[in-house]
Amino acid sequence: MDMNEIKEIFFQECEEQLAELESGLLKLNDGDRDPETVNAVFRAVHSIKGGAGAFGLDDLVSFAHVFETTLDCVRSNRLDPGPEVLKVMLKSADVLADLTNAARDGGSVDEARSRQLIKELEALANGEVPQASAAPVEVVAKPVAAVAAPPVNEEGFQPVAFSFDDFEAAEEPPLMETPTYEIVFRPKSDLYAKGNEATLLLRDLSRLGDMSIHCDMEALPTLDRLSPESAYFFWKIQLATDKGEDAIRAVFEFAEWDCDLEISLASDEAASSDEELPMQPVPFDLSILDDEPAVSVGVVEEEEQLASQQLGNAAVSVAGTASNVLQMAQSAARAPAEKAAPAASAAAQGAAGQQAAASAATPTIRVDLDRVDRLINLVGELVINQAMLSQSVVENDTNGTSSINMGLEELQQLTREIQDSVMAIRAQPVKPVFQRMSRIVREIADMTGKSVRLITEGENTEVDKTVIDKLAEPLTHMIRNAVDHGLETPEKRLAAGKSAEGTVRLTAKHRSGRIVIELADDGAGINREKVRQKAIDNDLIAADANLSDEEIDNLIFHAGFSTADKISDISGRGVGMDVVKRSIQALGGRINISSKPGHGSVFTMSLPLTLAVLDGMVVTVANQTLVVPLTAIVETLQPEASAIHSFGANQRLISIRNSFCPLVDVGRILNFRAIQANPVEGVALLVESEGGGQRALMVDAIQGQRQVVIKSLEANYTHVPGIAAATILGDGRVALILDVDAIVAASRGQSLKPEMSLAAVG
Amino acid sequence: MASNKTAQKTLSLAPVLDLNEATTLHEKLLALKGSDVAIDASAVERVGTLCVQVLMAGAKTWEEDHLSFTFSKVSDAFEKTTQLIGVEIDHLVAKEI
Repeated sequence: MDMNEIKEIFFQECEEQLAELESGLLKLNDGDRDPETVNAVFRAVHSIKGGAGAFGLDDLVSFAHVFETTLDCVRSNRLDPGPEVLKVMLKSADVLADLTNAARDGGSVDEARSRQLIKELEALANGEVPQASAAPVEVVAKPVAAVAAPPVNEEGFQPVAFSFDDFEAAEEPPLMETPTYEIVFRPKSDLYAKGNEATLLLRDLSRLGDMSIHCDMEALPTLDRLSPESAYFFWKIQLATDKGEDAIRAVFEFAEWDCDLEISLASDEAASSDEELPMQPVPFDLSILDDEPAVSVGVVEEEEQLASQQLGNAAVSVAGTASNVLQMAQSAARAPAEKAAPAASAAAQGAAGQQAAASAATPTIRVDLDRVDRLINLVGELVINQAMLSQSVVENDTNGTSSINMGLEELQQLTREIQDSVMAIRAQPVKPVFQRMSRIVREIADMTGKSVRLITEGENTEVDKTVIDKLAEPLTHMIRNAVDHGLETPEKRLAAGKSAEGTVRLTAKHRSGRIVIELADDGAGINREKVRQKAIDNDLIAADANLSDEEIDNLIFHAGFSTADKISDISGRGVGMDVVKRSIQALGGRINISSKPGHGSVFTMSLPLTLAVLDGMVVTVANQTLVVPLTAIVETLQPEASAIHSFGANQRLISIRNSFCPLVDVGRILNFRAIQANPVEGVALLVESEGGGQRALMVDAIQGQRQVVIKSLEANYTHVPGIAAATILGDGRVALILDVDAIVAASRGQSLKPEMSLAAVG
Repeated sequence: MASNKTAQKTLSLAPVLDLNEATTLHEKLLALKGSDVAIDASAVERVGTLCVQVLMAGAKTWEEDHLSFTFSKVSDAFEKTTQLIGVEIDHLVAKEI
């Protein structure tokens, strides 16, 4: 495993930590005051900082550090996480995410923003009003120190220049006001196994003040019984420092799980009772032990530098155990950053354990997506192969011995099960995408000066990874639209008798084998007059076109359509909803809008759970075999001549249970044939189109219903209008999968300009 | 085993005595058991606790065997590290250095 791989894993973990951070902050925002939530948030930032230190990502470390300091204030109840505080924190979480991305992909970060936030965070840590925040960090830290246990270790870490001149002074008894700590440091073998080094820890410790040390070698065996990689030494240390216990613990930050550490403030008696121990003073120039000599003066982040040096050393010098860096980063993540007495931290750990149990953390492994995809492809081939086998048995073995048939049936069931299980591997909860949306909402709300609350539901609904990956973009557009266009300004809301804060609700749920994502806002709803006028102005519809409310609402999905009066930074660049619709359709999904003036709009997206297989109805149209996605079909019927009504020049309607429904000749639309088929000789498939209206698709015959493996036409051939994808049938022939919405849209060519020019297919 | 009690053997330490070196050092020292040994630590640039442990275990073992175990030369880094971690080696350092 080389350094880059480790780094990659670090970034993956960062993503998880960032998600944890955000959900924690949002919980706090909702009034959750559970200390474990605060701890989780703190831990997330802390482990990002720790890992970033190991890779020398200085920007990330310094920002995380300031963030962490402020969070520490929240944790120790010195800062109340009120709405204003959380606003800053959520923004900081965003910047932290940006910095992580920048470190990963080399993108740029809004430096002014991060500087501003650092100031705000420092001001919060200080408990001061923001204008005082320009003061240097060291100054800021002082008032805090007066309140409670100081985070001085982090803020005021002063490099102590050791020299032999100090040697003399050090042997003087420590001044009265400098407290002396007694430290018992008992490393476990793991400490060394993970590439940590007691000498470095002790070196760092000695920098905190005047240190005397006694090494206990009692446990050391003779050479033949010695295990060279076990820990035998332990140390009793006296350290006179005014940096506080936290600073001492900070030295052992990355090692605290691999050693026993006792730290106590030496009372006079205790100090004298230990006098019998031969203590060696260690106040000499240790710079020779540094990899990079001369510690620069005034570096606030020295603690991190040291830590990163240690980690760096570990990675470089410990060949073959480079992954220790990770282990350390992970152990840092596990560490309840609470640097309290062991008992307290054990309690915290217990609490964390309970929390983890509550969220039922099952063991997981990371698998390369390519491997899963290959498996899925192979299973797809297996399904096709199994279908072919069934077919050839049916064709050749007219007797159809029952054992062969039974075997085939079992095979079919097994293949199906394998397929489902493989698909389940790729299934992921939509949570990460939803979480990204809360950031979008925050940013847009900030830009537009609106007050918005995002409520998410069903975050754990699982859907195929490809779908999730492709969901983020359209969802972002939609959220932007909902906040920018959908919600009114606070003043208008109040005037309309609503609360000033707008609500955007994002819901995910499973519905009959598909995932349905709903985005609802409680804004003004679609201004249909405006939309209609705009459509007429843009020549999208005829001025006298008679459109239903639904059809008007759906106009917003047309290319180049934007009703925002001004083109804003956020949306309204005319690449809004048509792009959304196209991306959703590319996913095999549908999008619907329903809007109530004054009450808001609801966008409903229905997406397939997977892009790999599809339940379809296999039909014949003009001697071609087509597959119609089953999810689109409401019912099938054999039309009677009496139910068919001609309408206009070449439109036909079919009456179904006292309502009329346009009849769409699929063969005609796809140019499979030149003249319209006789409906009575065929079958009508009643489908639900994206406008919500129903259409009856005319096909010649139904062959059957089966699960087909989707093969992308775009990837293997080129995009064909009206066709969503292709599949391979049991007899080895390629069948096209119908894009029902495109067919319906094409049949509607009169009210709307055709979205596509139908090329001859087949 | 004490076949060559009178001959003093010299063990020169590697510049970097880290985790990986501890096992090697342990083996090297075990191989020298039974002889007087002089450790040359003049090239040492970095030494970790594990290797100090091995060396101290060696000193203890040699002492039990009533053989001589000395550091003929020590580098500044070696000396300072042992001092830092409170391991007394003065009595083992050859007096003529």
